[in-house]
Amino acid sequence: MNLLLRAAMIAAVLHITPAVVLVKRPDAVQALLPGADAYFAREVHLSDADAHKLHVAVDWSPEDGVLTFYRGKAGSAVVGALEFVRVDTPHGPIEVAVGFAPEGTVRGVIVTKATVEMKPWVLEAVAAGLTNRYRGLKTGDSPGGAAAIAGHVGDLAEYIAGEVDKGVARALAAYGAFYNHVRA
Amino acid sequence: MLYDLRRAALPIRWLVTCLLATLGLSYLFGALMVSLYAGFTPKRVAATYAGPEMSMRMPPETTMVVEHPITGTDFAQPEVHTVDTNLLIQDTHVHVPMYGLIAAALSLVVVGLSLRQGWALGLITLLFAAPWLDFGGMWLTKIASERFAIVTLIGGWAMAAAYLVVTVLAVQQMWFSRERS
Repeated sequence: MNLLLRAAMIAAVLHITPAVVLVKRPDAVQALLPGADAYFAREVHLSDADAHKLHVAVDWSPEDGVLTFYRGKAGSAVVGALEFVRVDTPHGPIEVAVGFAPEGTVRGVIVTKATVEMKPWVLEAVAAGLTNRYRGLKTGDSPGGAAAIAGHVGDLAEYIAGEVDKGVARALAAYGAFYNHVRA
Repeated sequence: MLYDLRRAALPIRWLVTCLLATLGLSYLFGALMVSLYAGFTPKRVAATYAGPEMSMRMPPETTMVVEHPITGTDFAQPEVHTVDTNLLIQDTHVHVPMYGLIAAALSLVVVGLSLRQGWALGLITLLFAAPWLDFGGMWLTKIASERFAIVTLIGGWAMAAAYLVVTVLAVQQMWFSRERS
């Protein structure tokens, strides 16, 4: 009976709660591509070799082998690009929107989705300034959001900040390797 | 029979009633969650579990780019909640043991009911078969064909039906049976 109770408790603790939208995608797009009045979806279909390189670099394979960048333009001027990156955690998936300025630096990061369980951790981490730590990062940089807020937030917020770091690292790697280097 | 819920002590009958009520509450919210994230039609279940993996994408020999204009409203389109293979592995790992424990708990109630042996065996089988059908359907939808989404729906309804039968019989026999005392 003791074993059954323990198993039930473990199963309850590990249960993945449903996903919730923290910031709607259109709102994230407006914030990360400010002023854009035209949008383009740039779908990069990765070869096996390139998919493998990306996986080795950041331990990630995009869904269906396709990276999707969203480019925003205001008139003829490019406003920037945007990626939505999913990070699977033992508590369920989170989605991170990473916006890039035209010169290739990170303009901003928004956590758009989490699970019911992770939502308060994300909100605590964001309130502690997590997403501000990514501004200005460029390809080759390592996101250090979790380390920056450590000691100012609880363990779970610090943990989720580490997962957001992973999302930003994936976006940086994908953007650096495939956004401008493969021509449409 | 030594274990007979009709003649069980009041604390035992109250325990079983509380267990059934609590499971009923969780099933109710389980159904609500299914309606929010997967739906009750084969089409929606297939969209949740089959996903793009059914298309058997062939990667190009060299990386290629396709760019097309989209409108701002394209970002606002409702997204289909999908469960990919990794998430389904995780879901199976954490849900099936819990389903097994629930089936075991309800089976213990069935054992204490006054039923013909065949009915009792059938109910116990149904309690355990329902989660197998539920997750079997999800896996078959993912790896074989979207048509197997119906198996998941059958599993879900079987789970609900088995719970309802056990609850109605238990409540009737524990609290309203003439042979109680």
